[in-house]
Amino acid sequence: MARRAPSASPPSRLHRAPNHQSRLHWRETFGFIGPALLALAVVALVPVLWAIGASLYDWHFHRSAARSFVGLGNYVRLAGDPRFLNAVWVTLIYTTVSVSATMVFGTLLALLTKAPFPGKGVVRALLTVPMIMTPVVSTLVWKTFFFEADQGLINWVLGIVGIAGPAWVASSPYAFVTVLVVNIWFMTPFVYLVMDAALEGLPGEVVDAAKIDGAGYWQRVRFVILPMLRATIVFTVIFRITIDARMFEIIHVMTGGGPARDTEVLTLWVYNAALRSFHLGYGNAGGVVLMLLVGAACLAIMLVGLRDLYRRSVST
Amino acid sequence: MRGHTRRRLAEAARLLAIALAVFLAVLPLLWVLLASFKLPADVAQLPPRLLFTPTLQNYLQVLDAGFASFFRNSVVVTLGAVALSVGLGVPAAYGFSRLKVPAARALLLFVLSMRFVPYIVFAVPLFVMLVRLGLVGTHGALIVVYILINLPLVVWLMKSFFDDVPTDIDDAAAVDGANRFQSFALVVLPSAAAGVACVTILSFIFTWNEYLLALVLSGRAAQTLPVVLTRFLGGMEDPVRWGLLSASSVVVLAPVVVVTLLVHRYVRAGFGGGAN
Repeated sequence: MARRAPSASPPSRLHRAPNHQSRLHWRETFGFIGPALLALAVVALVPVLWAIGASLYDWHFHRSAARSFVGLGNYVRLAGDPRFLNAVWVTLIYTTVSVSATMVFGTLLALLTKAPFPGKGVVRALLTVPMIMTPVVSTLVWKTFFFEADQGLINWVLGIVGIAGPAWVASSPYAFVTVLVVNIWFMTPFVYLVMDAALEGLPGEVVDAAKIDGAGYWQRVRFVILPMLRATIVFTVIFRITIDARMFEIIHVMTGGGPARDTEVLTLWVYNAALRSFHLGYGNAGGVVLMLLVGAACLAIMLVGLRDLYRRSVST
Repeated sequence: MRGHTRRRLAEAARLLAIALAVFLAVLPLLWVLLASFKLPADVAQLPPRLLFTPTLQNYLQVLDAGFASFFRNSVVVTLGAVALSVGLGVPAAYGFSRLKVPAARALLLFVLSMRFVPYIVFAVPLFVMLVRLGLVGTHGALIVVYILINLPLVVWLMKSFFDDVPTDIDDAAAVDGANRFQSFALVVLPSAAAGVACVTILSFIFTWNEYLLALVLSGRAAQTLPVVLTRFLGGMEDPVRWGLLSASSVVVLAPVVVVTLLVHRYVRAGFGGGAN
């Protein structure tokens, strides 16, 4: 009895031996969660704080003795750097298109597979394959076998219907399309799995009641099912933004940021600035901006999505 | 009668759409699998050859290219990282679920927020620190660094699994004289075994597939498979080498694909719970 969590103990017991109990409880608590928190602080929190600190210095890694404090100077420089601003823009478009498309496709797939059909279990498993495939490998497959200009599957199929396909990966608007296609293909299963689980958890009576009231299928989706999934949708969008805004491997493998920096997202910009040109201060400043942009986007979506949810719950 | 026909048409369209989605989902996997057994003469053929004389030549070449040592790197790093993250994360999740932790919400939010930080922000400082410590290119450094990818996931998912285990069994264990640790290890943990399987598999997939941190931190000696694949096979413009590319890709994919399809239930439970 004495070893139960204090919240569950009757007050009289706490009065009898407060010091012994609280010390025991403190030691227990630290024993369970302490190691994990310490480890995370060392490998995650320290680097983040270090990155913020480094962004305030003019610091070239190979001449590390020569670093000098410049305050917000790096950020001022970023605001006038066309290559950086291009990366911000590319990241914005990339993330917006990819998150929207995966949300639509994933939700549609979940709706399509809701009613039972033969082989449902197998289909569900196969639909998750893109997400668990090593992204580097799937990008290489798309690049060499599908998007390849002369011997790729896509241009061959286009050729059959009389269209001369472009040099997808190497030419201007198309390279951006290729990385988007792979990203959407890669992440749709994630949305599908989340929405599929959420649909399964819906109270069937409400949907059935709407059906009895004469609502058509799309009306039920639009006015009954989607509103009930609102919280899930908000959190899924947030997860999706954090994943796509940091996307590196698909772009690094597919285009390396080219052609003409068409596909140079912020992660790649930071990688080039800090780890290829070794401008640690300047590169890290860009990383901090990326982190702030992601945080701001998530916060905005949470506020908009959940404020609406709050109003809804108050009005009913 | 006409309504009946329309409903059957709609059902047919639905099944067709599902079939198309499955086809698109598995096409790259099937393609690379087939290509890995093709001779150079067959691999770049269009229309694609579905019937061909299979060969193991590409796989033998992969062996010759010294892929085995990189495979070992990936196995060592992944097993180490999964063991470390699950070993640290599961007790922490239990603590957050069962003990009165001061500032529990703030601490949980801290854990979760580390999952939202773009990896490149970690990668640059970790690179500089590990260079200074002389640890770039060691398995141990990668294993420890992968805590930051896996631990938040393990803590959050396992907490929800522990929350689902009724506290009655804790009380029963306490009545039987079990101390806190015994109650955790012998009573609550076994009841959340599905959760442990789930976080183990997800950490395994994420670690095995990870590219950016491995690229920056693995140096020459600890290169994992995704990094090797792009370096050692860079510039695959030459169709003659597509067979080799495919065979090495299949070697990289095999562990995650086999595990996922075998225990798909747990992967689904993890992602359905809002992982990633």
